[in-house]
Amino acid sequence: MSSGTVAVTVDGVHVRVPEGDSVLSAVRTAGADIPALCHDDRLRPAGSCRTCLVRVDGKIVASCVTPATAGAVVEVDDVRGLRRDAVELMVSALPPRALDTYDSELARACAASGIDATAARSPGGRGVDTSHPYVHLDRDLCIACGRCVRMCSDLQGTFALTLVGRGADTVVAPGRGGSWAESDCVACGGCVDTCPTGAITEPGAAAGITSAVGPTGTTRTTCGYCGVGCALDVVAEDGRVTAVLPARDGPVNRGHACVKGRFAHGYLESRDRLTRPLVRRGGVLEPAEWDEALDRVAAGMRQAIADGGPDAVGLISSARATNEENYLLQKFMRVAIGTNNIDNCSRLCHSPSAAGLTASFGLAGGTDSFDDVERTDCLLVVGANPIEAHPVVGARLLQRVLAGAKLVVADPRAVGLAHHADVHVRPRPGTNVALFHGIAHVLVAEGLIDEAFLRERATGLPELTALLADYPPDTVASITGVPAQDIVAAARLYGRAKRPAIVYGLGVTEHLHGTDGVRTLANLAILRGAVGTGHGGYGVNPLRGQNNVQGASDMGALPDLLPGYARVDDESARARVERVWGLPVPSHPGMRIPQMFAAARAGRLRALWIVGEDVCATDPDANRVGDALDACPLVVCNELFLSETARRADVVLPVASWLEKDGTFVNFDRRFQRVRRAVGPPVGVRTDFAVVHALAARLGVDLGCPTPAAALDEAARLTPHFAGLSHDRLDREGAVPWPCPHPDRPGEATLYLDRFATPDGRAHLAAAPYLPPGEQPDDDYPLILVTGRGWAHYNSGSMTRRGANLDLVARDVLDVHPDDADRFGLRDGEPVVVRSRHGQAHLVARVGDATAPGQVFSTFHFPAGGVNRLTSDHADTVTSCPEYKVTAVCVHPG
Amino acid sequence: MTSTDRNGHRADGGDAMRSLAERRGRAGGRLIAALADARRRTAEPVGRWAPQVAVDLGLPASAGLGPASHYADLAAPTGRRHVRVCGATACFAADGGRHLGQMEDACGVVSGTVADDGSVSLQTVRCLGYCYAGPAALDGDSPCTGPTLAAQVAGAVPRSAPDIPARDATGDPVLLSGVLAGEPAWRTWPQVVTAGTSEQVMAEVAESRLRGRGGAGFPVATKWAAARRSPQTVVVANGDEGDPGSFADRLLMERDPGLVLEGLALACFACGAREAAVLVRSEYPQALARMRDAVEQAYSDGHFGSSVHGSGITVNVRVVEGAGSYVAGEETALIAGLEGDRGCARPRPPYPTEQGLWDAPTVVNNVETLAAVPWIVRRGGAAYARRGTPTETGTKLVCLSERFARPGAYEVELGTPVADIIGRLGGGLRDGAVLAALQVGGPLGGFLPPDGLDVPLTEAGLAAQGAALGHAGLVAFDDRVEPVDVLRHVWGFAAAESCGACSPCRVGSRRGLEIAEGDALPGPEYGRLLGVLAQASLCAFGRRIPPAVRSLVRAYGDRLAGWDA
Repeated sequence: MSSGTVAVTVDGVHVRVPEGDSVLSAVRTAGADIPALCHDDRLRPAGSCRTCLVRVDGKIVASCVTPATAGAVVEVDDVRGLRRDAVELMVSALPPRALDTYDSELARACAASGIDATAARSPGGRGVDTSHPYVHLDRDLCIACGRCVRMCSDLQGTFALTLVGRGADTVVAPGRGGSWAESDCVACGGCVDTCPTGAITEPGAAAGITSAVGPTGTTRTTCGYCGVGCALDVVAEDGRVTAVLPARDGPVNRGHACVKGRFAHGYLESRDRLTRPLVRRGGVLEPAEWDEALDRVAAGMRQAIADGGPDAVGLISSARATNEENYLLQKFMRVAIGTNNIDNCSRLCHSPSAAGLTASFGLAGGTDSFDDVERTDCLLVVGANPIEAHPVVGARLLQRVLAGAKLVVADPRAVGLAHHADVHVRPRPGTNVALFHGIAHVLVAEGLIDEAFLRERATGLPELTALLADYPPDTVASITGVPAQDIVAAARLYGRAKRPAIVYGLGVTEHLHGTDGVRTLANLAILRGAVGTGHGGYGVNPLRGQNNVQGASDMGALPDLLPGYARVDDESARARVERVWGLPVPSHPGMRIPQMFAAARAGRLRALWIVGEDVCATDPDANRVGDALDACPLVVCNELFLSETARRADVVLPVASWLEKDGTFVNFDRRFQRVRRAVGPPVGVRTDFAVVHALAARLGVDLGCPTPAAALDEAARLTPHFAGLSHDRLDREGAVPWPCPHPDRPGEATLYLDRFATPDGRAHLAAAPYLPPGEQPDDDYPLILVTGRGWAHYNSGSMTRRGANLDLVARDVLDVHPDDADRFGLRDGEPVVVRSRHGQAHLVARVGDATAPGQVFSTFHFPAGGVNRLTSDHADTVTSCPEYKVTAVCVHPG
Repeated sequence: MTSTDRNGHRADGGDAMRSLAERRGRAGGRLIAALADARRRTAEPVGRWAPQVAVDLGLPASAGLGPASHYADLAAPTGRRHVRVCGATACFAADGGRHLGQMEDACGVVSGTVADDGSVSLQTVRCLGYCYAGPAALDGDSPCTGPTLAAQVAGAVPRSAPDIPARDATGDPVLLSGVLAGEPAWRTWPQVVTAGTSEQVMAEVAESRLRGRGGAGFPVATKWAAARRSPQTVVVANGDEGDPGSFADRLLMERDPGLVLEGLALACFACGAREAAVLVRSEYPQALARMRDAVEQAYSDGHFGSSVHGSGITVNVRVVEGAGSYVAGEETALIAGLEGDRGCARPRPPYPTEQGLWDAPTVVNNVETLAAVPWIVRRGGAAYARRGTPTETGTKLVCLSERFARPGAYEVELGTPVADIIGRLGGGLRDGAVLAALQVGGPLGGFLPPDGLDVPLTEAGLAAQGAALGHAGLVAFDDRVEPVDVLRHVWGFAAAESCGACSPCRVGSRRGLEIAEGDALPGPEYGRLLGVLAQASLCAFGRRIPPAVRSLVRAYGDRLAGWDA
């Protein structure tokens, strides 16, 4: 990309555009409005519709595919008639409804040039495809501009669509030759959003609404599904969501989204939605008024404190709730109850990232901004399937790879990006540390390390080097099952790249030694000098699972850490918080989630408040989680639906979803972004924010922070990390990363440019030896089960199973390698019973080569299947993050 | 080329499918052949088999469906016996298109379909290169021609398919010395590659002022120089002689393939290219076979391969079969096809000489163009430049259609009057028929009236008459065919062969046909349509339709009154 600009004259107006830009760009810069029906700023130009005609230096050209050259003389107005004729000719092949059904780009272009429906003369009859729940095709309206195909291939990377036929018969089609529903489409909605005519639409009230001609009065918010942090524009009418559009100026998503954020909002109006509190009376949950429910909770908490002290009360906060709610919840526990017994679900996913990254670098987040990560020339993607679990990030990574970056994927499964990898290493589950040491060994042995960086900015090299002597490729091959030459190849790609970047997911953290995994993965970036320099590489970046799992931890919904990661057992840190709060903060760390369950089973935890988590569905060893809830005298649940967990609660409080409230989320690369109320919650439903205040009031405590904005302001006073943040600023700037110490300076997108945030200012190499996983297969349980997310659903499925995503994927399936299918008599599409040492689950087998022999994989989106009854209570030795990724199982035909 | 949106983001990405195909070992390059292979084994619609062909090559399913539904050969259902009948201009002129119906009767199937039992299928194609003996068909790969075509295919009379009559009208043929006098090819290359320099070859070709013979007339040396001797450069011999009415490339490929390959070798040498491809259209099965044999022979004779004749120069050449598409002969569409894509024109810039096949600098030269290069290198560019006219140098193969008394391929000096060619060489029309209109340069070339033939055969001369040199096929129309049917034929060709990549041509070609087929004279819409087609189309195909139909209307004068727009 060139950086200069060129000067162009457009109808006598002098404008400058970046070098390499098109004449169309210059025309628009000059303020002229011409149709460009095959053009979308998100896509490479095609020059197909030929409606953006102008004259350049005397020659008629399609401006979208003509480079703006210095001194070019562009005539726009003089060519108006020809542009009109071009649109008219195109319209002649369409039926009249092409002009009057939708407020499409085409309809607007026609209206602007005085072309009415009489110009549209086709009788139609090419048919529709309404097989897909979210994407309908009306072939008669297709102008074969290929925007949908480019969107699907170039932006989304799914390649589900193609143009078929030729000449006048050219039309878009799903690429497998069958219906749309049978195609490779993953319903990202890109084709729907880019279609200029309404040929491809979302059915229902959203039909024809796109980000190009979106209605006014939309609400800009941040997606409440995964941690990517897509900016979305919500269209609502009469208090109901009509459509959710990808924001073209979204800092992370740039006009893209996925099946979840884009389409999966049907749960808002689900008949299952709780709209009244429920209170257990005589063993049965019954509707109640808010006063009664809150009184019951307050009384129960008081009783628990009376019986067991403040530490008999625990709270599992929500990674889906806003920062402000998490802030208020941890403040409630610390000052209204007097305990640090608060934790959030990062415990179950990225607590090893927080611990590991803090130990290696000093802060509990990814090291670099995603904008930089995608400038890499070599991606190392470890234990993550972003194509399905973080689709917008996955799509952007794939774009980068197709644009020429090298790709190393380390993952037991052959899914997603692995299909595009230059090297795909498939370590046995639980052997990551050995793999990373193997790669590090090659880096050191072959001199692919940054000695100056190691000398000046890191520590621990002698210890690590000594340890690495034990991890030559052959040894690592025998531990991990990865061929030695692949370890060498991966190391050379990473080691020889100019700007390598590491992106990883729960395949690194959810292990018995997950924190060691994070630290030894971080070793690679340190050895290579690829972190904290801004140019030598783009560090180590976790893909956070839930929308605000970063923020929940940032806000101090953790048993040992206060907002901004100050330790509760650090007296000066506590004092700083106490000064702002005016109330004492308990000094000893509270219980982690698994400890809370254990304490409940032991009778020590007597009140447990669970906000927006279905722990019975998503926490490991679910049978024993249920035992814990049964044993706990008071279980309170904030929920949208009567989840497995809510069914076991004593009080269920109906609360608002992310589309119904205000606040902020922090995404995976530490960006604060605003969440805004697009529609009101159903009558009878309150926000978590309001519930905390109401409960605090009943306990006689005023938490302050009357509004979410005030809550963030208060958090900003507690820690320099957030000192420069406020709702006002986010409203102005969109997204701001933390650390952000100053209100008038940008946040730090790239960390550690001057020094690492460790006490000695250096990055710390970790000489942690490989230790085997907690679960091992044996003759009775010969297979290793790995769990994870699929593309169409989200975690426990509470939001995605209540809507048409069910039509896309209707159940959890167990991926089985053909060898294992033969060995255990399993057939594709048939029911299977999976047993582990901890429980059993009922699934359907899908036989294929996504998993290696000896390994099976299942999603966990359908709690009824019981996948998490299988998983163990083994957990990361440092952080208690469950060993979800390694469970020994046996499988039989069901 | 990109644009910066209001957020400062630029859509810099390339064509992801192309990148993917490249990452998959350029699997796209094998795709069209694999699809053609699969097509030969099934009569099923493309949706049932084409996606899997792509998947088997490691590509997305859609990579198979798009091209398979685009190329005529792949989209056409294929029975165990597959008959291709020519529906193009010269065969149409021969009998007004009546043979098409006769062939359907003879085969027992409607064109574009296969018999229920899969035994036989019929496909109408546009030009088999038997314009001198039409109407023509290929039964499998076996040609049949002449008025008894349908009877031949039905087995009622013996098959007849004469060789191309070829004659030299120059006295010193550049192109036909091998065909007519048996002069061997490969007389120049061994010496040049061992003792010559690429600069010398480039200089001779520059001095010759040879221009592309495929229709665009671009100076060859300029195109070669534009590739800037990048070692990645690929040279493609374009044997997709799509212009109905021309069979010059078929003649050269079938009767002197070595000459074409020698020209290709010299082009590679001049451009510093190590890779080359020869694209031969599927409608020319004999040419395809001859080129394949000739390439094999050239390898065994040491003309191709590593260190050719011990020179250290590497030239590797492969032969690729087309799949049935006129536009796929346009250079950007041809490259798209070689990459496994639909045969659609791509916007320029980037020009192929900058970013062509898999983004390598790519030089696409027509077969006849390349065939002139050995003579130029051997006899000198100056000698060639003295041929033809001062502004349009050299010789040209012109092809005279079946209506002429002496049809066939003639090598003439550029600038020879058209009247001379059809009178002195062609002997006028056969059987005393009277010329009604003369098509020059294919359906998108133009038409000359019988009294307007005093035109030199040059691009400039023909352009001045609203026609074009094109491939220099000359198709005579007599009064067997109604003028309006000729008009409909031209529009029909345009509609059938438009690739669909741009809306003016995609819609305009079909709409023009609808108007031409209507009962009424055209209204003002027709003129606007021609204006958009001519000015706004993506490639020369769409842009050439209006001048072609306008010249036709002029050529017929009063007989097409009301069609001038």
